Amino acid sequence: MSYSDRELMAVLLARQLRNGEIGMMGASSEIPVAAALLAQCLHAPDLTVIMPSGAVNPRPGRLYRSSSDGRWFTGCEAIGTAYDLFELSENGRLDFMCYGGVQLDRFGNINLTRTGPFGEPPRFRGPGLANISMAVTAKRTLLFSTAHSPRTFVERVDYVTAPGHLSGGTQRRRAGIATAGPQVCITPLAVFGFPEPEHAMTVSSLNPGIEPGRVLDATGFALPPPPWPATEPPTGEELGALRAVVDRTGVLRS
Amino acid sequence: MAGVPRTSAVERATDGRLSKVMTLDSALAGIGADTLIAVGGLWYHNRPAAAIRALLRGGVSGLRLLTSPPSSFDTDLLIGAGAVRTLYTAHVSFEHLGLAPRFRRAAERAELEIIECDEATVLGGLMATLEGLPDHPVPSLVATDLLRTSTQVRTGTDGPRAPALRPDVAVLHAQEADRFGNVRHLGAAFCDPVFAKASARVVVTVDRLVGNDVVRAEPWRTTIPGYLVDAVVPLPYGAHPCSSHGLYCHDEEHLRHYLAAAGAPDGDGGDAFARYLREFVHLDHATYLDRIGGTARLDALDEEVA
Repeated sequence: MSYSDRELMAVLLARQLRNGEIGMMGASSEIPVAAALLAQCLHAPDLTVIMPSGAVNPRPGRLYRSSSDGRWFTGCEAIGTAYDLFELSENGRLDFMCYGGVQLDRFGNINLTRTGPFGEPPRFRGPGLANISMAVTAKRTLLFSTAHSPRTFVERVDYVTAPGHLSGGTQRRRAGIATAGPQVCITPLAVFGFPEPEHAMTVSSLNPGIEPGRVLDATGFALPPPPWPATEPPTGEELGALRAVVDRTGVLRS
Repeated sequence: MAGVPRTSAVERATDGRLSKVMTLDSALAGIGADTLIAVGGLWYHNRPAAAIRALLRGGVSGLRLLTSPPSSFDTDLLIGAGAVRTLYTAHVSFEHLGLAPRFRRAAERAELEIIECDEATVLGGLMATLEGLPDHPVPSLVATDLLRTSTQVRTGTDGPRAPALRPDVAVLHAQEADRFGNVRHLGAAFCDPVFAKASARVVVTVDRLVGNDVVRAEPWRTTIPGYLVDAVVPLPYGAHPCSSHGLYCHDEEHLRHYLAAAGAPDGDGGDAFARYLREFVHLDHATYLDRIGGTARLDALDEEVA
């Protein structure tokens, strides 16, 4: 069965989510939202999904492109405010948070703010991030990027909007952060991990149909060389549920 | 859209009370240079867009703008029109429609003072005001470069803290209110209730007025009580081109038109933004609604928008 890059990423991210967890979604989050709703109908019925607008456990039967679209509220279980999101974060209630980035680096640090040197006007001004705190308070973070290029995957971010493993090793813990930080990064090309003790990005598995050289060329830092294990392709059950229950209008296919 | 409601028995019984309904211009009077203005909603949803256009028609400049943690259209419009001196924001984008062109340009040309925020430092700053404290702890802001570049987070001996934020005025948009300022959101109230509590003055535009008896019939639906509100301005479709949760969707076609105009390069295409301001800002609300295709089109947006 053929599938789009974004369908693949939603399926791979869904596999990372566990039953009973609480997860918060961000902006431009069609892939994480689809992944969470898919996980709910496959292996994680007790996963709690919280939209950035405060909608809890929406069940719209389709993917609305804006994560704060008013139509996500129809049939959801509760509506929180910004204060509830503050509470969720500061009280350490979140199990996971998903992030993309203008830049993501080897150690999973996230830049959504600016590129270029400090003290100068930004070379590129990014949108900023409203959920910075959750990179510290959520028990683990999951990274994703539909753009896998050396411009996005850099050796070191120009600005740490939200901390990953900082400069690797024990640096995150030494900064006073007790949560696990980035555990996985999913792109159209591969699934990456951040193994102990260095917490630097390595290829966990290579996505179907991708040549290893493409991953090496698209990544702006050194990776442990292939051979790498193969990503298990989406199953018929995964794609079937994704298309029949979560994304009936095919937003991820277009 | 309901107009001003018929007088019911309960309405008659409350006839001695002061109505907070006023025109947009009176509600916004006094907002100008150095005003710290908080704008409610989130991204391009529940935004007081018509109120922002009215401020621009009045020639506002030099604002200190505090956006809801994630913001969008009206932030970009105010910056593009040169009305903002200092911006307190966590996020400005049009989500899947693209980046905010005028925000980006002003930042890259260093034409704007930007105070980097996060949801936690905005909420923490507002909560400090609610608590009567100089600041509020936000330990979760550890290890971010905001600590190096932002004045909205300070490092204390016990970790990062957000200084108190007390807006001079909050300008919000909700779906309904009665004339005494009891406000009802039919979707996300998001930051609006906290903005209302922390701000010295509170202006709410609403798509429709409802009777006080309607509010009393379901008091658990009131999201901001009247005692926090100074002005209610009935303004049907007052959030357009943003959505008003439960009533109409955001207008993607218009937002894309705005993005093209705001993102046009200087020079020949540089008039595109000025033309946008002429065509869609410098006109009264009724003419605006005709120009964007009429209210029948707005009621059908949820069939048009993916």
